[in-house]
Amino acid sequence: MYILIVYDVGEKRVQKVLKFIRKHLIWIQNSVFEGNVTKAELLKIKNGLKEIVDQKEDSIIFFTARNERWIKKEIMGREKNATDNFI
Amino acid sequence: MKRNYYIFSNGRIKRKDNTICLENEKGKKYIPINDIEALYIFGEVDFNSKVLNFFGQNNITVHIFNYYGFYTSSIYPREHLLSGYSLVNQVKKYLDPVERIKLARETINTASYNILKNLKYYNPRRNEKLEDIILKIEKERKKIPYTNGIQDLMGTEGRIRDLYYSGFSIITMGKFKMKKRVKRPPDNPMNTLISFGNSLMYTTVLSEIYRTQLNPTISYLHEPGERRFSLSLDISEVFKPIITDRTIFKLINEGMIDQNHFTKELNFCHLNEKGRKVFMQQYEDKLNTVIKHKELERQVSYRRLIRLECYKLIKHINDIENYEGLKMWW
Amino acid sequence: MSLSDAMHATGVEVNYYFICKRKLWYFTHGITMEHNSTRVEIGKEVHKNSFKRKNKEIMIDNQICLDFIDKELIINETKLTKAMNDATRYQILYYIYYLENKGIKQVKGIVHYPKSKKREIIELDGEERQVLDKVLKFIYAIKKSNSPPSLEKKRKCKKCSYYELCFS
Repeated sequence: MYILIVYDVGEKRVQKVLKFIRKHLIWIQNSVFEGNVTKAELLKIKNGLKEIVDQKEDSIIFFTARNERWIKKEIMGREKNATDNFI
Repeated sequence: MKRNYYIFSNGRIKRKDNTICLENEKGKKYIPINDIEALYIFGEVDFNSKVLNFFGQNNITVHIFNYYGFYTSSIYPREHLLSGYSLVNQVKKYLDPVERIKLARETINTASYNILKNLKYYNPRRNEKLEDIILKIEKERKKIPYTNGIQDLMGTEGRIRDLYYSGFSIITMGKFKMKKRVKRPPDNPMNTLISFGNSLMYTTVLSEIYRTQLNPTISYLHEPGERRFSLSLDISEVFKPIITDRTIFKLINEGMIDQNHFTKELNFCHLNEKGRKVFMQQYEDKLNTVIKHKELERQVSYRRLIRLECYKLIKHINDIENYEGLKMWW
Repeated sequence: MSLSDAMHATGVEVNYYFICKRKLWYFTHGITMEHNSTRVEIGKEVHKNSFKRKNKEIMIDNQICLDFIDKELIINETKLTKAMNDATRYQILYYIYYLENKGIKQVKGIVHYPKSKKREIIELDGEERQVLDKVLKFIYAIKKSNSPPSLEKKRKCKKCSYYELCFS
């Protein structure tokens, strides 16, 4: 499934969250990641984040869609980081 | 679903914060380790043992191409799926000449079926100019069950393939002429495309074999040791017409690739970076194309069909079900 | 066949015996498919995150793997869904049976379903002891056999990680 993660976490944890999600998804701009994952991987991401964040203070939002096709993506200005697999 | 990643840039690949990072003068580009199925390296890239170990731990195969776009090597991590029982049986089927030729024949039988399928698809679209080639191949194909030994079978296979390649100029409407198939090095753009496509096929199949209990070095049509992973060559025969040849026809017929995608150097041509990228993109699209599988009653990608072919071989080797190659039904 | 031969079964094998004998054959011949399955992966992840503080996965005799044991000798096992009831039950009953044969008596089992936050208590009785005696003999025979039990397409097949192997 397609997933978009947006987070707003305390300063101390920003780096940790960034490094963790980078193992699973592609960074597209500050505090936003995107990618395609299986249900199992999404669960792993959620469980991993639970260990890092402080749920009283931090906020992480998961947008998911069954398939990338159901989401239209438009970029205004600069594309900070492409998500394709040709590097 | 994990993806293949294709690295065309130069730089250094590092293990960083437990994931992969490509560093060069343009900056850092992170690749999520959990999203990598296999890695293809076309650029000039440095990496160290730390990164290789990391690929190994994550069961990621890496395929490396040189400056000219020729496939040179693969990093095949330590086997993670082992079945001693199945391995013994895989070897047994090779050692028994009757069993070996049976598998080899079915491989060629399937490959030539798929070759004919391609020709029959284009024949009505090219004013029946392929008719003669089709008839000749059908005649050759009838000899397959009566071939005596691998050499004889290889001879038949060679004749079928020559006939098939002679149809390539007709299929591509004379845009890319090829008199004869020449390898190492290819001597014209069409040969270059075929060589490049076949090497991609070999690596894709190898990455799929890695995800099964099959041993990649024991093969039936090709002699083990002909290349390091000769089973990959065997299975590639079935898929070359379906995947690489169709990709090539599309690239040429739809004008996606032309002389500008090649560099003429001395007496042979090679695909430049732009050409390789265009090819890879179409190839990747092909692998991800899905069709409905009758038995499985679900959509499967072409890439998955390769895996299923490996499973069929496992069943054959272990005397569970006779191998019947994938004959394009669509 | 001696008792010790029979006792060479693992908990997963007992479990698979009740799910599908063909899968058991493949599994015991090293042709495993679990690595392909999202369901298996989810199961592992749920398992990893349940009961974090207790000792997990205790291996006994390199043969049976218990999920975790509490102070009063309770075998705990975590499962994703209640779908494979008999299989799960007999897997635990086998652990109890195994420990009994080692002279460790009065062991109880609990199956936890972390997703639905439910649990089920399991105790071994005489009838089940007899069933296990037989099952272990069958498992032994399947392991020794050179060909797998024949193919039958059932509804549960589609969810199985061996589905593509069976029906390719």
